[in-house]
Amino acid sequence: MLETLLEILKESNALAWEVTNLKKKSWEFYFIRHNLDQNRYVETEEYIVKVFVGDTNTMGSASEVFYPKTGKEELQKGIEQLLTRASYVQFPYYDLNHPSNIETQVGKEPNLEEISKQYISLLQGIQESESEDINSYELFVNGITRHYLNSNGVDVIDVYPQSMAEVIINARKENHEIELYRNYVSGTCHKEMVEEDLLKTMKMGRDRVIAQDTPKMEPIPVLLSTQDALDVYTYFIMQTNTAYIYQKVSQVEKGKVVVEGKGGDPLTIKVVKELENSSRNFSYDSEGAPIHDLTLINHDVVEHLTGSRQYSYYLKEDTFNGQNYVVEGGSKTEEELRQGRYIEIVEFSSFQVDPSTGDMFGEIRLGYLHENGETKIVTGGSISGTMREFVKTLQFSKEQKQYNNFLIPSVTRLENVSVTGI
Amino acid sequence: MKAPFSDYLKSIKKPLQQLENNLREFYEYVSILATDSKGFSLRLSQHAKAVSSETMTTERGIVIRVMKDGLYSEYASNDMNLEDISSLTEEIKNQLDQQLQVLKETNTTIYETGKLEDEPCELFVEMECEELPETTDLSKLVELFTTISNDTVQKDKDIVDCIVYGQSTHVCKMFLTKNRDLAQSYVYSEGGINVMKRKGNQNEFGSVNLAGRNGPEIFVGLKDMADEAISIATDLLNGERVIPGEYEVITSPEVSGLIAHEAFGHGVEMDMFVKNRALGKEYIGKRVGSEHVTMHEGALSAVDVASYAFDDEGVLASDVVEIDKGILKSGICDALSAKRLNFKATGNGKRENYAHKAYTRMTNTLFEGGNNTLDEMIASIEYGYLLKGMRNGMEDPKHWGIQCVVDRGYEIKDGKLTGKIVCPLVLTGYVPDVLGNVTMATKEAYTFGTGGCGKGHKEWVKVSDGGPYLKTKVRLG
Repeated sequence: MLETLLEILKESNALAWEVTNLKKKSWEFYFIRHNLDQNRYVETEEYIVKVFVGDTNTMGSASEVFYPKTGKEELQKGIEQLLTRASYVQFPYYDLNHPSNIETQVGKEPNLEEISKQYISLLQGIQESESEDINSYELFVNGITRHYLNSNGVDVIDVYPQSMAEVIINARKENHEIELYRNYVSGTCHKEMVEEDLLKTMKMGRDRVIAQDTPKMEPIPVLLSTQDALDVYTYFIMQTNTAYIYQKVSQVEKGKVVVEGKGGDPLTIKVVKELENSSRNFSYDSEGAPIHDLTLINHDVVEHLTGSRQYSYYLKEDTFNGQNYVVEGGSKTEEELRQGRYIEIVEFSSFQVDPSTGDMFGEIRLGYLHENGETKIVTGGSISGTMREFVKTLQFSKEQKQYNNFLIPSVTRLENVSVTGI
Repeated sequence: MKAPFSDYLKSIKKPLQQLENNLREFYEYVSILATDSKGFSLRLSQHAKAVSSETMTTERGIVIRVMKDGLYSEYASNDMNLEDISSLTEEIKNQLDQQLQVLKETNTTIYETGKLEDEPCELFVEMECEELPETTDLSKLVELFTTISNDTVQKDKDIVDCIVYGQSTHVCKMFLTKNRDLAQSYVYSEGGINVMKRKGNQNEFGSVNLAGRNGPEIFVGLKDMADEAISIATDLLNGERVIPGEYEVITSPEVSGLIAHEAFGHGVEMDMFVKNRALGKEYIGKRVGSEHVTMHEGALSAVDVASYAFDDEGVLASDVVEIDKGILKSGICDALSAKRLNFKATGNGKRENYAHKAYTRMTNTLFEGGNNTLDEMIASIEYGYLLKGMRNGMEDPKHWGIQCVVDRGYEIKDGKLTGKIVCPLVLTGYVPDVLGNVTMATKEAYTFGTGGCGKGHKEWVKVSDGGPYLKTKVRLG
């Protein structure tokens, strides 16, 4: 079908076109306790087509997904409709990516059977006790092939594994039972990381069972030491995104400080092509641009931008969409950051930092309040504030921790956070 | 007009029935869901313009559910060779057998479940709509959206951008078993305006939306909504932070809907009962709210984006009274969980699309109206806030905590709105307290169907939720 589609596109009046042939095989297993609830085999294929019409000043585009076994006639009709629809909108011209001279190796198709076995054995082997155990888990093991082609001659393939384990942990004391939620995403099964984190989560579960209501309190430093901290760093990464800048959501400029008033530890964020067992170790981004290591922010100053082809072209940036990120460590150790009065929150209902406004929220499910030389285990209430204020004193640890496609400081400290107690 | 059922699905019905028949030689239960949903989405602003044939629910594919020895398994694909049913039967069996081999090697035990009922039923539903997404004149819609965006940014020098968007989907689904032959076709649409304003380094977005089980004709309504979006963005820029604490509040219908959704929407999804992940299981027949609280859930509870005729497991839609005058009466249930709990399925088995598993999911979730007027409710508050605009929320069925991110609160002092605004807000509370403190409700209730709902952090489906204005007490931060 791909050949037919390309033939139609080449013969059409399109100014430019791009095709992404996405194939996905998935093995899925759903468990209640350690009993199999359901198993699923999924195999899908899509042809995502985008056509452009216009000239080298202004152009328009439209996109559509075609499914396997679509006949030539239907494809022709579909492309004709796309060309018409593309003419309805107009935006400034941009040139699609061109072939690069960078040599890359296409990855091997992952062995879904083997990875599935590793996950099942890992989860079944986790040491449980009468007071802490695994409630349920869902395993998704995917093998993905992404073939991207465009009218400038780019023709690149990425083959990669992508897996996810969603695990629910229960802890109980007498008649009181609580649950904690964990979601592990990686390339293949990251046994050591999942095992270590699950055991740590069970310890947190023990604490949550005996947690008291979060008291009312004055603004306080908040420490984030789980993957919730990703949202804090994503806020900065998004400020360097070419779409955010072109659309005037972000006001950053290269050579200037990333966010007005930035203080605290100097922030350095890099895009890296590969991170160990990341589910996003691609050679090319989704528009066929080769991925390489790049420093986005160096000691608070914006050095490079990242983003999609369209907005990067408008900003005259020869860049790509970053996939893996490294945030360099700060000036203090974890221990030094855990000083004085503070609350370390390790479980939220849903921690959020809105990258466009900087608004930050989260309901506390488990926190450790350190005050007057004592540690109280707390639950309930919420934190809120804005990154526009927190950036002034942001601190983070020297030590780092990896969460799939992010390597970030293991502890992040926000000062003067408003806490709603009970 | 009636939304016509997919010709493609009609064309594959016979081979699928043949496949179902073949698979029954090897499995005790076989069902097939085939989907063919088409649509479009438009998104226009001053800086970005996009036309696409994809929406949140466009799809074409087939999922086959089989059961043998108490184990349910599924095979989903959008590339099945329906011209050779014998080979396809073998392929499905081989793929699932390979997975069984892994289960054997890992000594995995099965959560045994009985055979689903297969009561005979034939249904062919083509619901009414004015326009179809496939035949809509997109050039006119682009012109409308462009005009709205261009006119709006001219209205205020602080407006950075005005994003106008709309998407419309024509959903077609067919469900087949030995005894069931169901087909449905309907259209739903949703759209909105986001106005971005800036003061110094502060960005704020004023958002207004519309949605319904209608065709793209509803987008004309966006014409009159831009001023409200500007006004909201201005309020957000002028808002102050709230002093954290507990307050008497009036929730607007949109915020009431968010509370309904997070509290006793997710809280009574009965697949969570099977896993002992929901406190609601222990509270059936008990008081969970004040006598002013009556709550419905179901595809038939309202006419909105999630109002279908049957769910993704072939169970007919219903209207469940979850809470009746404060007493928790019932949960909602997918077919497999119903079998496990010895309960009657409620038509809430939904999939993100054919390639995803079915879970118990919400459809339309709403509080019933009461007898008060909004003026009476405002006049009854000594100090508190009128809460408007919902951003998102998070469920906590195990502990009945609730987290709702609300756009803005309008201060009420001595029974009057003062004009002071606090924003944004995170609303938290213990669900029985939040519902137990409901003392007043307006007569009119509304539903809202924009956006999507996830289960945990994935599995996105369309839902609507709503209710009347409610007076209650919550924590705000």
